[in-house]
Amino acid sequence: MLKGHLDAIVLAALEAGPAHGYAIIETIRSRSSKTFDLPEGTVYPALHRLEQAGLLSSTWTTPASGRRRRVYSLTKAGATALASRRRAWTRFSQAVDSLLAGGRAWPA
Amino acid sequence: MAGVIDDYVAALRRELAFDPALARRLASEVEDHLRDAAESDPAWPSAGAERRAVERFGLSRELAAQFAADAVDRQARRTWITLAATVVVTFIAMRLRVVWLDDGTMPALAPLIDRYAFIGAMAAGIIGWFAFRHSWRALAVCLAGLVASIGAGFVRADLFAAGPPLTVMLAAAGEVALVGLLSIHVVGLGRRLKRAAMLRGAA
Repeated sequence: MLKGHLDAIVLAALEAGPAHGYAIIETIRSRSSKTFDLPEGTVYPALHRLEQAGLLSSTWTTPASGRRRRVYSLTKAGATALASRRRAWTRFSQAVDSLLAGGRAWPA
Repeated sequence: MAGVIDDYVAALRRELAFDPALARRLASEVEDHLRDAAESDPAWPSAGAERRAVERFGLSRELAAQFAADAVDRQARRTWITLAATVVVTFIAMRLRVVWLDDGTMPALAPLIDRYAFIGAMAAGIIGWFAFRHSWRALAVCLAGLVASIGAGFVRADLFAAGPPLTVMLAAAGEVALVGLLSIHVVGLGRRLKRAAMLRGAA
């Protein structure tokens, strides 16, 4: 079930600011309270796909502390796509919530 | 002696050999990731810390299989866009031949092939699009129809017209160029599908 929403989750993880792959996985893990403990490699095909679609951009950076890293950031199109996916998710989750909450038998 | 991370990155490079640029980029990125992960392990520095980082990352074949599947999607999109352009140009070229060339005294076969091979190609393309979106075989049938239509068009232009007009020749050149490009895309799609299936089977 998570796989279908991975792109939106990655976009949301980058909403706060640019980050590299390891930081994105850590953000997903901590913001989901470790519910989404994905194999860490899973995020890279999603990052690549989103970059190809123009929703993310990336650059190599070398922090003063040492190792060169590819840092991803949300593009304007990415921010728009995230807003749209968020609306779709809200509608979907509200519908599922109301169905799972149960109700009166038909006809009412 | 190479460490666990070095071995993993080398294996990933091999699995991604189908796209050398992606292999280079990802190997470097994944190595950084794994070293960050290993360094955050309480047992760092040790082979155990590296091994745990690699285990959390997932199998290199599974990662390569996901990239291969994405490559199939991209190639399929390129192929279908080229196919749509080829169909439009072939249709225009066919209509130009009808308008400009005098088929009055010629055997009916060439115009029939020109027209009906094109219609057959369209049908194969439409069925292929809706039923087998990633089928290179459906595309190959469609391509064969387009080639037959173009070939018949050339027969009409060369044998039955007294010097075809420039517009007819330009449209024919466009047909040939697009069919060439489409053939390259169909072959590329076939290769990517086979590779994705192989990696998926092995993962």
